[in-house]
Amino acid sequence: MNWLSDNVNLLALIGAAVIIILVVFVVGKYIKQMKHDKGSGELMSDNWDGIGEYKNPLPIGWSLSFIGTIIWAIWYFLVGYPLNSYSQIGEYNKEVAEHNARFENKWANPDKDTLMGMGKGIFLVQCAPCHGVLGDGMDAKSADLTYWGGEDAVVEAILKGVKGSHYPLEEMPAGLLDEASAKAVTAFMMKEINVKKSTKNPDLVETGRPLWATCSACHGEDGKGMGGMSADISQYGTPEFIANVLNLGKKGLIGDMPKFTDDRLTKVQKLAVGTYIQSLRQ
Amino acid sequence: MFHWLERNPFFFAVGVFLVIAYAGVVTILPDFMESARPVIGTKPYTVLELAGRQIYIKDSCNACHSQLIRPFKSETDRYGMYSLSGEYAYDRPFLWGSKRTGPDLMRVGNYRTTDWHDHHMRNPQSVVSGSIMPAYKHMYTNNADIQTAYAEAYTVKKVFNVPYDKPNMPRLGTFEEANKEVMKEASAIIADMKSDDVKEAFKKGEIKEIVALIAYLNSLK
Amino acid sequence: MQASNVLNYDYSVAKCFTYATILFGIVGMLIGVIIAYQMAYPELNYFAGEYGTYSRLRPLHTSGVIFGFLLSGIFATWYYVGQRVLKVSIAESKFLMSVGRVHFWLYLVVILMAVVSLFMGISTSKEYAELEWPLDIGVVLLWVLWGISIFGLIGIRREKTLYVSIWYYIATFLGVAMLYLFNNMEVPTYFVSGMGKWYHSVSMYAGTNDAMVQWWYGHNAVAFVFTVPIVAMIYYFLPKESAQPIFSYKLSILSFWGLMFVYLWAGGHHLLYSTVPDWVQTMGSIFSIILILPSWGSAINMLLTMKGEWGQLKENPLIKFMVLASTFYMLSTLEGPIQAIKSVNALAHFTDWIPGHVHDGTLGWVGFMTMAALYHMTPRMFKKELFSKKLMESQFWLQTTGIVMYFSSMWIAGITQGMMWRASDQYGNLEYSFMDTVSVLIPYYTLRATGGLFYLIGFLLFAYNMYKTITSGKAILSEPQNSSPMQA
Repeated sequence: MNWLSDNVNLLALIGAAVIIILVVFVVGKYIKQMKHDKGSGELMSDNWDGIGEYKNPLPIGWSLSFIGTIIWAIWYFLVGYPLNSYSQIGEYNKEVAEHNARFENKWANPDKDTLMGMGKGIFLVQCAPCHGVLGDGMDAKSADLTYWGGEDAVVEAILKGVKGSHYPLEEMPAGLLDEASAKAVTAFMMKEINVKKSTKNPDLVETGRPLWATCSACHGEDGKGMGGMSADISQYGTPEFIANVLNLGKKGLIGDMPKFTDDRLTKVQKLAVGTYIQSLRQ
Repeated sequence: MFHWLERNPFFFAVGVFLVIAYAGVVTILPDFMESARPVIGTKPYTVLELAGRQIYIKDSCNACHSQLIRPFKSETDRYGMYSLSGEYAYDRPFLWGSKRTGPDLMRVGNYRTTDWHDHHMRNPQSVVSGSIMPAYKHMYTNNADIQTAYAEAYTVKKVFNVPYDKPNMPRLGTFEEANKEVMKEASAIIADMKSDDVKEAFKKGEIKEIVALIAYLNSLK
Repeated sequence: MQASNVLNYDYSVAKCFTYATILFGIVGMLIGVIIAYQMAYPELNYFAGEYGTYSRLRPLHTSGVIFGFLLSGIFATWYYVGQRVLKVSIAESKFLMSVGRVHFWLYLVVILMAVVSLFMGISTSKEYAELEWPLDIGVVLLWVLWGISIFGLIGIRREKTLYVSIWYYIATFLGVAMLYLFNNMEVPTYFVSGMGKWYHSVSMYAGTNDAMVQWWYGHNAVAFVFTVPIVAMIYYFLPKESAQPIFSYKLSILSFWGLMFVYLWAGGHHLLYSTVPDWVQTMGSIFSIILILPSWGSAINMLLTMKGEWGQLKENPLIKFMVLASTFYMLSTLEGPIQAIKSVNALAHFTDWIPGHVHDGTLGWVGFMTMAALYHMTPRMFKKELFSKKLMESQFWLQTTGIVMYFSSMWIAGITQGMMWRASDQYGNLEYSFMDTVSVLIPYYTLRATGGLFYLIGFLLFAYNMYKTITSGKAILSEPQNSSPMQA
């Protein structure tokens, strides 16, 4: 079983068993003595409120165990966690290195199914607290990711504006175009600029073409965001776009999304999250 | 020897005291110089953050939330970089906690937002379905105690030389100056909140506990 | 033998503390049951506005049972046992008599103020040391009074050699005095800045240092409040009730000095894998393991004292309480050290296994022993037979069931949670969200709370039994030497 391969789990379970077994065994031994033995010995001369005390020797088992624990302690101190050469950070670095060796090579070139599985796991742990288990943004408390990635979402962004990922060119204001024009320019963008090169409104592409100037002023003629001045919308709707948001964070209309740059997610993992989120779109 | 001690209570007590006292001397004292040094980039709390920290203590958030990320991969994956001693240099008292009924908060400022906390403190189940955390509605009606927070900052500056008013460190100044700073910080937080009652109160010059608490939580990075 | 009957011991202070023990026991345990149910049913957090949330009540529960229930139990037994094994009546000294009375009233005032202040959320946040500085001063004062009472009584004793129980009471006094003083070093902010709340203070220590001092205190508060004075109790009440001499004086000595020497080093096990230096952590681990034997020494000494006394164990519920207390003492003093081994602690720390461990000790060992002690004292203090043996038997089985439910559910919950936190999926990512690891525990939380409820009901039976004994128990003419008289 997988979870027993973890040393810590195994030792904890053994520990729990030892506690019960040892106590039951030792107490059982003394209970037997209560049943069958008889107290005896030479009494001390003192007597307190009727209480006397025998001069009996120490129980052998107890004394030996005492010495045993002291020997164990010395071993633990000098060999187990040697005083001068053990460091918990060193142990951590080793753990991480081993973990990475085990998983990073294994999943260095993941296929789509792998990315989906990996992404789902990460999403549920890292993203679901804000975006909800379903990714629906939990009643508009964060971005609805089941809606993200399609043309309707782009149109809405044009109409309502976008706060963006802290780009130098800052926010995109609301209402740059009216609804019809927004639809048209989105069709053009998706067909000609975006890596997907397809639109569900092919008949609007030509209407949208002249309107592209409104967008290209900030996003560049090729839509790639003029070298980091604004969002690269040629990637819109792709896992790479999401990975970029994870790197930069995002100021949404609802709240701030923090960036995930503190090494919790590797590049592959970010891509996996993107792949999974992309699949959420209904 | 033992029997003699049992007949001489004074020496018995002295003996007991010596035996119990020196463990503390040996294990605790040596570290006092070492770990008191702050890590580069660690700054003392601003007055508003301190007020929030006092609320965190008042409502015993530390009964269920730790602020200590242990160096295990499973913890750093979940909560971020493991904790360093110097990061706690200005924590009086420390708030490591001893039980994680809820998740660790050491770096919660890295991955939760004002808006999220606003929803969450009013009704945890609205953002974390199945959460067993109680709502803290009273934080939306009680006012934060800025004076006591200032008093604490002033005290640690005077008594423990905590570097307020030093270059690149938070400004403290007089209470009036500090208060102005507090209002500025609070207004930035309130702008990101959706709670109209808190916004209304702020217009009247009141800072609710929730604002200070969020300031503190956002500062945990 | 006759000497104890010739002397006229004065139990007035012991009686006052007995009432306090029962009162604070009910309050502290009731709050405990409430917060336990709150974890299973979060809606229960809202029965008293901001004063009813889990987080406000939790320090009240811990402080209530430690400093309310248990401390008054310790004081009650001191004012009973102290006189008897030193063979001197406290009434022989007017001074000590007044010290005793002031001690009680000051104690009552401090505890009641502590209850109010914790409800209001006035706290320093340090576990089991939440009280702010004005109350700390009160605690120090009453502790000094207790010290005067101990050493005053020892000063006028007739029995020259100190009995084992007295060793442990002295250690309790010294240990807590030292720990409490150092851990509560704080600077009142009002006196430095002239503004803000007058009772607010800030800790003298920062960060990691503060943590080390706190857990040096916190762990040893367990030592000197949950362990040492309870050993004092069992060393008196078990041999007295059963009329058996203590099994071995040598074992008594070694256990005592061993415990004193080793205990204080073990605090570091609360800080494993934290930011305190590695060597301090390792020290904490190894001394915890060495601690097993001095702890077991006392328990074994008690069990061996009962050698051949199976009949008493079957017949006398008081003996039952005390033998089971020793057993739980052994369980928790083995469990603690095992949890202090680094690799086990990596899993156990921060989980419910820890409160599980604490309650093995507090419910099984501390609670049972304290109640047995009060049961033993009452017929002698009030000259009445205990009201009902049957009730005692039901209480015993009800509470034992409660404890078993409590610790088994918390063990499973803790280990499950610890494993889920660590688990990774086939891609090497965390397998469970934090919320997953909470939802899975809810059934165990319900079971635990119900176990706690059983224990509380048992405690109410105890309180009722005591009440009936005191008010309408059958009078007895001469003091019973050993086993306590009780009506069926």
